Order: sequence, then structure tokens, then C-alpha cells
Amino acid sequence: MSALKRVQQWATFARIWHIYDATWQNPFKSAEVVKKFLMGLYKPIYHPLNDCGDHVIIINSGEIALPGDEWKKRVYFHHTGYPGGASWTLAWELHTKDPTMILKKAIYNSMDGNLQRRHTMQRLHIFPDANVPKSLLDNVSNQIRQLRPVPTRLDRYTAEEVASYPKLIDYPKDYIIR
Amino acid sequence: MNITKRIVQNYIGKTIFNNETRRISIFPILNVKEIHEVQEGNQLIIYGQEKASPREPYLLKNNQTEKCPVCASGLNIKHTDVLILSQFVRLDGCMLPRRITGLCGKQQKRISTLVSMAQKAGLMPNLTPAWSKKDPKKRIV
Ligand SMILES: [Zn+2]
Repeated sequence: MSALKRVQQWATFARIWHIYDATWQNPFKSAEVVKKFLMGLYKPIYHPLNDCGDHVIIINSGEIALPGDEWKKRVYFHHTGYPGGASWTLAWELHTKDPTMILKKAIYNSMDGNLQRRHTMQRLHIFPDANVPKSLLDNVSNQIRQLRPVPTRLDRYTAEEVASYPKLIDYPKDYIIR
Repeated sequence: MNITKRIVQNYIGKTIFNNETRRISIFPILNVKEIHEVQEGNQLIIYGQEKASPREPYLLKNNQTEKCPVCASGLNIKHTDVLILSQFVRLDGCMLPRRITGLCGKQQKRISTLVSMAQKAGLMPNLTPAWSKKDPKKRIV
């Protein structure tokens, strides 16, 4: 085997680390994207019995955006197994308790329930903010594109940018600025 | 009696709502003025100077005068376009009325909806009324 072929073989089966910024993203649509990388579905060598999934680091999971009134309406069910052990938790309650749980459950539920699922989830690393240990960040070699752009807040623009932006209307001549 | 009433109403209506076309003024004009003080020997001169609007050089030209500025621009404005929406609010974050913005009813309604959407999303925290809950994260509950 030539040196090129050998390196190609290593590169094919190496685990790649991806990073994904969940700021202002829909967790349920993001789960469909992240799932492909976690399971290695995008690889030409993919097979259910082939262990070719990648690692994914998700940062800023506390900044996710749920569509519509899902913060108030989405309910997470849990049963302890004992009589009367059922509990229903609203999405905003779950998010205040643990800001990574909604995303984690979304990705877990987006995959088929087989024996491989728990092992695939072990390759997922979710952080509520951007503080990621350096030992994990050093492995990252790819960034997953966000589903939608994050809008810039008005106070993040400089005063010149705001002042010199093209104006649609002018104040009337007798207007008192206040 | 009726005629005098109508004349008075007409006059009051014009003075309140149509200041721009008024030729004479009974009381000092309320333009934005900058106060200057000049000392010449033992003479102090204080005078107010009218300031030009800071928007003048950046104003888009409206070629279709029959349309309102937003309709004429042909822009599809979204609630994330805070640089545009911030032109339609006061410094305290309240929406300007239609007689100042000069928009048609449809666009005035749309822009004011978009402004409140942007404020509720926390995209204009420096141009949001003080009584509103500025941080959208604190509004979940
Ligand atoms: Zn219009």
C-alpha cells in the first residue's frame, strides 16, 4: 500500500469534530442537520453497521429560538414508573432548569430508536454558552452552517453606521426632536 | 355665525396640522436651534441658529411622489432590519405618528407592527420604551 493510499485510509475512517452555534436557531430543525453529522450519514462509506459517526460540539444552546408560542405550549412528559409518577414540564420550565435539554431531546428524538442511538449521543457535546474546554476545541476542524442568519442588534452597530445608513423619511421642518 | 365658526375652525385646523405651509407665525417657530454665545468687548450676543436635519445628506430620493416613501422604495422590510425601523421611532422608542412619517395607512400599520416585533425580540434595546421588558429572556414566564 502506497503512502498516499494509507493516508487516505486514515482520513476516511478518522472521526471529524464539527462545531455548531445554536444562537437564534430552531432546535428541531437544527436536530435534523446535526443528526447527519453525528451518524455520518453524509459519508459515502456510510452503513448502519459501520461506526463512522462524527463528534459535534453545540455552543450557545441557551440562546435557541422556539417558533411561535412553543415555549408555553410544548410539553415534555416524564414518568418515574411509580403510581402517580407522571409529570408534564413546559418547554420554558425545562429550559430554565437545564438550557441544554431541549436541544438534546430534539436530537435524540430525531434518530431512530435502536441500540446505536445511545452511543451516537455520546459523541454529542452541548454547552449552554460559548465556554468550551480547550481540549475539545482543539479537535474541531469544521463548522456547520447555521440554518438562518443571526440578526444584528441596533446597539451593536457603531453610531456612524446608524447615522449614515440611507434614510427613507426626513423629519418635517417644524419637528422638535425628542 | 356659522361662517365665522367655520373660518375659526379652518384657521385653527391649519395652524395645528399644516404648520409647514403657514406663512406667518404668531409665536416663535419651534425649529431645532443651537444656541451660540459670542462675547464682543463688553457686549454679549446670544443667538439661536437653525440646525439642518442630520438625515438630509442620506435621504433617499422619492421619484414616485404619488407613493409614500416605503411603497416607493419597493423594499420588503422585515423585523430584523433595525437600521430602517429605527428611523420611524422617537428617541424613547415610541412610534412616530403618521403625520410625521408621511406613510400610507397600510405601511404605517405594518411598520409599527415590525417595530414592536423588533423591540420584543430585543433587537432595539437602546430604542425601547423604558416600561417595557427589554430582555426577551425575562419575558418567557
Ligand atoms: Zn404606501
